[in-house]
Formats: sequence, C-alpha cells, structure tokens
Amino acid sequence: MLKEVLSQIFRKPATQKYPEVKPKVPDGFRGRQIFDIDLCIGCGLCARDCPAKAIEMVDVEGKKKPLFHLDLCIFCYQCAESCPRNAIKTSGFFELASTNKHELVVKPQINLQKRSEA
Amino acid sequence: MTNVEQNILTALSNKLGEKILQIQTPQPRKVFVRVNAGVHRDALRVLLDKDESAGISAITGVDLGEKIELMYHIRTHGTIVTIRTEVSREDARIKSITDLIPGAIFHEREVTDLFGVIFEGYPSPKRLILSENWPKNLFPLRKDAEITNIEDKLEKVTVLDEDKRSSDGGTLVNIIMGPQHPAFIEPEKFSLKVDGEIVKEVKPRIGYVHRGVEKAAEKRTYLQDIYLVERICGICNACHAACFCQTVEAIMGTKAPPRAKYLRTVVLELNRIHSHMLLLGHAGLEIGYESFFQYMWRDREPIMDMMELLTGNRVIASFSTIGGVRRDFKEEKIPKIKVELATLKEKMSFYKHLFDRDPTLKMRTKNVGVLNKREALKLCVVGPVARGSDVKMDVRKDEPYAAYDEIPFKIITYNEGDSWARLMVRLDEISESIDIINFALDNLPSGSYRIRVPRIVPAGEALGRVEAPRGELFYYVKSNGTAYPERVKVRTPTFSNILSFVQIAEGGNIADVPASFVSLDPCFSCTDR
Amino acid sequence: MTFIFRVLIFPGFTFILLFTMFCDWVERKIEARMQNRIGPTYTGPAGILQPFADFVKLLAKEDIIPSNTKSVVFRFAPILSFSIFVFALFFLPIDGSNVIPHSSFEGDLIFVLALISVANFFLFLSGWSSTNPYSAIGATRVLTQFLGYDIPLFIFALTSAFLANDLSISTIAASQNVPFVLLIPWAFALFIITLQAELEKDPFDVPHAETEIVAGYETEYSGRRLAFLKLAKDVQIVLGAVIVVELFLSGPYGPVFLGLPAFWYTLWFILKVLFVVMITEYLTCVFARLRIDQVLVINWRMLIPLSILSLVATVAVAFWLNPLVV
Repeated sequence: MLKEVLSQIFRKPATQKYPEVKPKVPDGFRGRQIFDIDLCIGCGLCARDCPAKAIEMVDVEGKKKPLFHLDLCIFCYQCAESCPRNAIKTSGFFELASTNKHELVVKPQINLQKRSEA
Repeated sequence: MTNVEQNILTALSNKLGEKILQIQTPQPRKVFVRVNAGVHRDALRVLLDKDESAGISAITGVDLGEKIELMYHIRTHGTIVTIRTEVSREDARIKSITDLIPGAIFHEREVTDLFGVIFEGYPSPKRLILSENWPKNLFPLRKDAEITNIEDKLEKVTVLDEDKRSSDGGTLVNIIMGPQHPAFIEPEKFSLKVDGEIVKEVKPRIGYVHRGVEKAAEKRTYLQDIYLVERICGICNACHAACFCQTVEAIMGTKAPPRAKYLRTVVLELNRIHSHMLLLGHAGLEIGYESFFQYMWRDREPIMDMMELLTGNRVIASFSTIGGVRRDFKEEKIPKIKVELATLKEKMSFYKHLFDRDPTLKMRTKNVGVLNKREALKLCVVGPVARGSDVKMDVRKDEPYAAYDEIPFKIITYNEGDSWARLMVRLDEISESIDIINFALDNLPSGSYRIRVPRIVPAGEALGRVEAPRGELFYYVKSNGTAYPERVKVRTPTFSNILSFVQIAEGGNIADVPASFVSLDPCFSCTDR
Repeated sequence: MTFIFRVLIFPGFTFILLFTMFCDWVERKIEARMQNRIGPTYTGPAGILQPFADFVKLLAKEDIIPSNTKSVVFRFAPILSFSIFVFALFFLPIDGSNVIPHSSFEGDLIFVLALISVANFFLFLSGWSSTNPYSAIGATRVLTQFLGYDIPLFIFALTSAFLANDLSISTIAASQNVPFVLLIPWAFALFIITLQAELEKDPFDVPHAETEIVAGYETEYSGRRLAFLKLAKDVQIVLGAVIVVELFLSGPYGPVFLGLPAFWYTLWFILKVLFVVMITEYLTCVFARLRIDQVLVINWRMLIPLSILSLVATVAVAFWLNPLVV
C-alpha cells in the first residue's frame, strides 16, 4: 500500500468528468424509449404487462396508443418485449432529470413528414 | 429420488410412523412432509439428530382460507425438507421451535407479525417487521386483510422501552445505532448497552424498510413479479430474478435452454463480484481505510460497465425471465470482457497481499467479531458468514442450479470465524468467480436463449434456492392456476445472518461494532422486503 | 502601526487564515490524487476556493443549540479553541521574526505546547457539554488520546530544545544551521507519528470516527459554531506542521537570494509547512483507523519509551553534534 499510494500521485485520476465529458453508453442500453407510432397496432399489451403501470393508452386520431410516463418507468423494457410489432425501441439517452413532471413523457406523436413521404 | 432423500424419509417414518400424514417429492432434492400441529417438533428433532449441520431456511405461512398453513423449511445434506402443518385461523397457536433451533427466532416473529400465528414459548414476542403503531388485529399477509385507510386505524404508541435514556442505575449507557447512522447505508435500529467502550447488550429491530413486496407480488402477474422481486435488493438483483424464474419454471415443469443457463451463470457471477467488491470497499471505509475503499470501488467500475454492456443497465440487470434470459450476448463483446477480467484478477492478488500484510488492517479485523463453527450452525447463518466459520455450505454445490453442475469451482472456507476470515472468503470468491465466468464464456453452448412460456402458470408449488452474494436466497411460490401467484415467499440471506450480529457484537468493543457488522454484509432492504 | 499591521494582516490573523485554507486545499487535493480521485475542482482555479466556500456556507447555515446542553460552554468552546490555536501561532516565527515583535522569551516552547493542550481541552469540553452519547464518547476519546500523546510530543520537542540549548522556539529555529532532521532523523520521524495522534488523523482519528460515533464531539454542532470548530481543526493541523518546521526543519530560515529576507523566509516557511502537510497526508492514506485501546497501547508501550530513548540517544551524541549547532 505504501508504494501504491505514492505511485497514484503521478497517475491520471480515475474520475469521470461527467457533465463536461459525456460517457459513451453501449448499444442495447435501456434509456428513454423510442416509439414508432406507424408500427403500433394499439393492442395495449405493453400497458398490460408494464410492471410499474407507467404506460397509459391515450386517444390519437381515434385510436388507442401508448403514452410512456417516464417518472414511473423502471426501464425494464418489458413493453418492448411484449410488443408484437417491435414498435418500441431502446435508445442511449439517459439524462432524464427534469424539474417539470409533465415533460417526462414519451408522447405518441404522428410523424407527419414521414407519412407524407410514404 | 436420491439416496439422501430416501434416508431422510426412512428416518422420519421410523420415528414418527403413523403420524406422518402425507409425503410429497415434487422436485428433486425437495421433500414435503405433512404432519399435525405439535408433531412438527418431533419431526424437526429427528432431522436435527440425523444431521448436526441441519438448519432452518425459512418458515412460510400460507393463508388457506379456513386454516393457516405453516411450512418449516429445513436444509439438510443439500436437500430442503419441508415440514408442513396447519393451524386454525381463529386460534392460531403453535409450539415454538426456538429452543431446538435458536436461528428460527426471526422467522417465527415474522410469521407472527404477518399472519398472526402465536408461537407458544417464544422468548420475546415483540413486533419485528411491522411498526409499533400498526393495528393490532390486522395481519397483512392474510388474504382478507383490508389494508385501506390505514392512517385512521393506527394505534397510539408511547416511547419504547429501549429508547428511554439510561437504565441500570446509570452504569450502562444506551447507544442507539440507527435507524439513521453513518455506518449503515440503510435504516435499521440496533440498541446497544455500552459500558465505557465495551458493548454489553444488543437489541436488533428491523422493519424500517418493509415495503410489503410479498403482498404486492400477489397482486401482479408472474411477468411483472420478475421486475418486482428484482427490486427487493439493488445489489443482488440478478439473483432474485433468477431465483424467482427458476422457481416458477419448476412449477411449470419447463427448463431453460442450456445457453440460457450459461448466460444466467455469467450474470449471476458478475453480480457476485460486484457485490463482494462493494462490501470489501465498504468494510475499508468502516475501519477508516479510505484509500482501500477508493481503490476497491474504482476497480469495481469495470464490472458495472460489463453489466451495462451485457444486460443494458449498470445495476438492475432485468436479465432473467421465465423460460430463459431476455437477451443474448454478442460474440464480439466476449474478448473485451475477458481482458477486463484478466486485469481484475491481477488486482485481486494485490488486495490479497494487502490483507495478508497490512498491519493496521489486520489489527482491526483479526480476532474481531469471532463466530465459531458451533454458533454459526446454531444460528443457521448462510453464505460467506458461514464459510468464514468453516461451514462448508454453498447452494451452487449443494443443489446446483443454472450451469453450476457443469462448471468446476471450489468452495472457499476459512476457519478463523472472525471479520478477517469473512472478508477473505469474499476476496477469494471474486477470483473464483472470475474463473467461473471465463469457463462459462469459453464453453457457451449454442442454441436458443429462451423458450416462450404461457402467461398462466398451472396450479402447484415449488421451492427455489440460489446462492446470492450474501448467501442462500430462498423462494417459495404457490400458484393457483391463474396469471397471479397465490403466495410468494422470499427469505433473503441477511434475514438469516442478522441474528449472528448480536452474538458477535456482545462483549466486543464499540469501535468494532461497525467493522464486525459490515463483515456480515448486511442488506436491510433485503431483510425487510 | 506596524504592530497592528503585523497582528491583523501579515504575518498575523489574515495571513494565518488564508494560509490555513490554502493548506486545507492542498491536503484535500493531494489526498484525492493519492486515492486516484480529482478532489475539489469547481470553486476557483482547480478548486482552490473550496475551503473558503465551505466555511462561508457553514456560516450561512442555521445554528441549532440543543435544549439540554450546558449552554455557555457549548457556545464558547469552538471559538475559544480556535482563538487559542491562532494565538499559539503568534509565538512562532513566520517571516523570520514572531508575529508580535520581540514577544519571544525563554520557554515559549513550553508555553505553546501548553496552549495546545488547553485548546484540546476546549475541544473535549465542546463534546462533553453537548450531552449526546456520541459526543460524550468522542469527548472522552479526545481526552484519553491527548493525555497520553502530550507526553511523547513534549519529550520529542525537548530533544530539539536540548540540541539547541534553548527553550525559546525562535532560538531553536535560528540555531539550526544544519536542520535537526538531518542530525536526529529518528526524533523527526517519531515526532510526526505522535503529531498524527495529536491532530486526530489516520491511523489515530478515533475521536471522530464517523462510522462508529457519527462526528464525535462535533455531533451536535451546526452553523457557524461548526464552522469555527472545523476551522480550529484546520488551524491545529497547520500549527502542528509549523511546530515540526520550527523544531526540525530550521524554521523559516533558508538561503536568501535577492531582495528582502522576510520574503524569502516566508517562502521557505510555506514550502516547508506544505512538505510536512504532505507527509501527514501520506500517512493518513496508507493506514486504517486503529481502535482506541490500540491507540493507547501504541502510546504507552511504544512511543513513550521510544521518546525517552531518543532523548537519551540525543544526549549521547550531542557532544559530536554540538559543533554543527550555532
């Protein structure tokens, strides 16, 4: 230990300088969900299986679509597994802290641009 | 049926004969014996006479409607013998077994709190899990318990005896450690009576983080329960999930495919490494060895990164599921993991050298908090605490699950029984775990990593055991043929170990209390559930 | 005018305060690097203002006095122990002469050491008056530890005084043409170890072993009283380092190159104190905390006999060493 401690003085600290340097997350990291509304068939399996009851089915153009409450979400991705159409995908985005609870949702929004292209 | 089970059954029927009402052997290494209330003590005595290292794993209560069923799960020779008996609901009384097995104290008190069964002859019938102001005749795990508007029903309580200031005419000072104390990361209370610097008496009180997970599990589907039980303990989350899945798979009669078993093994061992390193670092902090703490946690970081790489999250793995695992390892990630593990192994030899040599570290841990083998068996401790007292016991060998029957490894035991030995067991187990992971990664079978299972589980019951980092983790699941379980019983390792703290702290120095306590690797959120 | 300047600005009160905070920063930074961390970073360049920020933050916090404390002692113990430590520093030559000019007298070494004991006693009182079990245990530990360790500390200090043939600190410092650390290195090493115990640093930081007795005698303190208690601890660390410098490292004296001697003396003084602080910090990092009984055993069975032996050894070799001492 005597030597180890001395040698550490001349080494680079192991601390990650987090807010300045963002860490890279591996692919497959369970961050904020990406929801593709075009694939969704509105079956509601995700809402039924969600262990935290974080998914609410809301009306979008007359069809039921999932709305993710991220403040309840435990990021287990059971929803992605239950989804028969793979409409829910993972992302590496993890900086979810917010002072406004109402911002912490993933809304089922219709991507108009994508639709017009198709 | 193996020889061990046959022997146990012969011994039981020789002694008890007609008194045995029913014998079931639904799973390998599991025996269920039904007897009348009162005979359970005789059955227990037979088992204890036969095997001196037999201990109690858990006492499970199940509400059957008219009656309350009690199950005494006794571990002996790597087999769980369950003595089941029933008591009536109105007059729930049964003879206590604490005089036969002192380690059953907390198990009995828990059942008293949650089911209202009174154990006759029990030394100190006080609340253990529930708070003192909880309504008198409301037993949460009974099916008809109405847990609504609790605020209106709460009882009034005055100051508790042990919280009062100095007693004994002022010679002993009361020191209350916890619920909030810098030595404890989680809230739990220990009332110490101190004479100068010497601890004379310890009174534990748990339940400060009781969240009612067992009750909540009955209200959720099996699928949702995986994620619920995972959150009983953040540190050994993978073990909880794997144990629950294993138990449910046993009810269904399905088996996870071979690749899933190996993948589970890897994640369980990573879990063990990171838990042990966390504890060792924490132990360093408790004895004021900050550099050691900083280095240990720095070296633990790559393990967390590995978890993230393989499972998608640093801490909560959400990896196991009923019928296998949730994601496969990508081949290209494996070399990277092996490199990291090799570096860690080198560092482990440095730490081992440190533990062998460093004078201050040895002064603080050697001959501190000694728990000898006889006491360890008496108090039914599990895991590294037992292994530090030379009790050769490891669920991975006794009752191999996942892929442990195919992977070679040693059980680490030390015979000193002090804090140093318990920490050394963990240090050596890290190296052993690294070898297990390497072996598993080299011999990863191909094929599918999960099978699809129905959401509805057929009626039945099963026991499951897993060697969590802190010791034997025990699950009992009963299914009633729906998607919701009838009863989920979780007995965590610390619940068994915490009793030994009283043993090792009394008579010791107050400065040794945190150091010896941390060597038990207590996890309070596990304990309370 | 010079008198007021010397007492209030330099090398008196303001300088000592700033220097204490600077030492605190160096300590934290070097400890962090030894433990492979980065240490204070955000406040000021490389976090140099962090100790100051901590102090100001505590000053701004609510000051709570528990209802059943012995309130007069409880209120004044922190500020008294802080002032006594600072007062003791006034008798040590910093820029070549004492803070208060011509205050040096024969025997001020004993006076300074006695002041330290008194200040430590106030630390004990601060804990004892809190009437909290943790504070009480912390306070008794402070007392047991200081009662024991004052003895070897004193004897080791006498070793230097003996070599210099004088009991005045400034004379001892001035008479070291060859720093005493080279003449009697064993005494220097043992003095540092004893000092670790006096300063309550690892491996002897039992009086405020936070995992056992929360914050020891500081437990009930908050707000500005806690700020002064913390500051008193920091000044004590500096004071300890300064005493080592004066007794073994020839005080502020060193080669003067260009300009005022006072400037060079101050520079040498700062460098030497930092050197000692680094040594104590290194010791802190490589050891685990001992238990109170082990701490006492080390004192009575090892350090006191060794201190007497070291004094005898110094007496024995003094004849050959004396030509090297002015």
